[in-house]
Amino acid sequence: MIGWLLAAPALAVLALAFVWPMAGLFRISLNRTTETGAMEAAVTTDSYARLVGDDFTRELVLNTLTLAASSAAIAVALALPIALLVRGASPRWRGLLALAAVAPLLVSGTARLVGWMAILGDQGMINALLTGMGISTGPLALINNWTGVRIGLVESLMPYAVLVLLAGLGRLDPKLEEAAATLGANRARTFLRVTLPLAAPALLAAWLLTLVLGISAFITPRLMGGGRVFVLATEIYDLALETVDWPGAAALAMLLLGGLLALMILRGVVAAFFPGNRAEKTP
Amino acid sequence: MRIWTSALLGMAGIAAAALPAAAQQSGAMTLMAYAGIFRENYNDVVVKPFQASGAPVQYVEGGTSAQMLGMLRAQKADPQIDVVIMDVTTAALACAEGLVEKMPAAAWPILSQIDPQARAAGGECGPGVMFDHLVMVYDTQAVKPAPTRFMAMADASQRGAVGFAAPPNIQGLAITAILAQAQAQDWRNIGAAMASLKAIAANTQTFDPKPDGYTMILNGQLRFATGWNARAQLYRDQSQGRIGVVLPEEGTIFQINTINVVANAKNRARAAAFVNHALSAEPQKAFTERMFYGPTNTTAQVSPEAMQRTALAPEFRNRVIALDWEEMLKLRDGWNQRWRREVIAAAPR
Repeated sequence: MIGWLLAAPALAVLALAFVWPMAGLFRISLNRTTETGAMEAAVTTDSYARLVGDDFTRELVLNTLTLAASSAAIAVALALPIALLVRGASPRWRGLLALAAVAPLLVSGTARLVGWMAILGDQGMINALLTGMGISTGPLALINNWTGVRIGLVESLMPYAVLVLLAGLGRLDPKLEEAAATLGANRARTFLRVTLPLAAPALLAAWLLTLVLGISAFITPRLMGGGRVFVLATEIYDLALETVDWPGAAALAMLLLGGLLALMILRGVVAAFFPGNRAEKTP
Repeated sequence: MRIWTSALLGMAGIAAAALPAAAQQSGAMTLMAYAGIFRENYNDVVVKPFQASGAPVQYVEGGTSAQMLGMLRAQKADPQIDVVIMDVTTAALACAEGLVEKMPAAAWPILSQIDPQARAAGGECGPGVMFDHLVMVYDTQAVKPAPTRFMAMADASQRGAVGFAAPPNIQGLAITAILAQAQAQDWRNIGAAMASLKAIAANTQTFDPKPDGYTMILNGQLRFATGWNARAQLYRDQSQGRIGVVLPEEGTIFQINTINVVANAKNRARAAAFVNHALSAEPQKAFTERMFYGPTNTTAQVSPEAMQRTALAPEFRNRVIALDWEEMLKLRDGWNQRWRREVIAAAPR
């Protein structure tokens, strides 16, 4: 009982800042959009039916999942060596290295993307370097396409992956790796046969978290996609602010929310199922 | 429904709504319109002369027209805005949803001075208060001789140097209609425009220029873009001619900004007075000469130099394609899909 009382302020904030607006969004999704775009008060599932029956929605879902899954996988793969480096560092340096790994989170995501646009653009630093060194004769298309979006998304997801991996790897018993070394395994074999299998739950948890973040990403596809990258979040923006079809935008947002909730539940199941992650819950 | 909508969208717009609320308390009439250089210039030559008569005006930046519509929807039960200037397509939705007042000619004698096309654009609600039109902008240092047609963007030498917004952005819809008209004398015939659109798309670096085409040209990232005349003319002046502005031979379409009194406005009398002022000849002349939006008041005596930089100049008027935006809105979804599947998909990077 006391726990509920203590949680009451947070629950009230959650209800006010999330549940209430979401309920309102759901209500808007049941309104009707006329042929000319005006919104009429109604209780209809027309917008949902239109979206579900549209081939382009399926293409958007596929685009979104492919982008998020691949970006999350690359982010986790790049984050693993960083997390291992931090884990293996002396206590004196560990905090500083961990801070450096997640430092991008201290900078606005939009500011980071503007930086990427300057670096990856046709007249950007990388293309200037490549053409200056004679490696390429013209600018490589590193932005305003899927490549640019993937680069930006991986960079923005990596700090989250590092955080999750640090939490997971921090609970691995180093004596197991020492035992492997004692029994004659070299470092590569120890990593492949001991560290990596034990880190699998943390890797999966990191991938699932970054997958969820990737699915809901909006700024990166919008700024780095050059109008060529269509994902669920950009479509919601277009429906809301270009065609002003609020019921359609709200319905698509509700479908996206439902998908994300399903993934979060899956992540919870994974966390509960794997022994490694049960250990995470131990105080 | 109204409570839900007001609650949800009121939360989203709470920061912006706080300003007009404060203005209401001080007795000022609240005008919502565009930000940036539009605000600076409109404030100087239209709002300040009105305020000189002792009627305070609070100018609220509404972002895009769609964002302004969102604000009006959110405040439907308790409007904090008195007058709104927004583009014709969005204003039509506000009119249909009862968010702005109807303006019968009998109650608004000023309408007799307004261009018929501007009056028709507003339907039963507020009329057009200024004309703008689609233009092509280019880098005068990099593109010689000066281009005269949209199809100059399709030249093979311009690969990767073009930026223009795709539908559902209104500029993408406009250029589609213009190229369809040029090919088939029917702006609705998107099929006739496809070959031209694909040819331009092959050279396109971005279908969503950020922050905008003018800035990307000035930064050397693009050589061609599309834009709206008024802002393009200002950027031309500010860049000492680096940005060139062309009303292409294929034609152009008007993008009309309307002025409306918000339904149930708290300062209704002042709002009506401001709308009358904004539609009158002198402010329209002043704003055209400052920012090159075409005047909708037919009695405005605009200098020939300024008029020359609008689509209302005699030699340009026959290039303006009569486009029914209400009909366009019905075609928009189909065009959007064809653009994505046939134009953008055919222009990978």
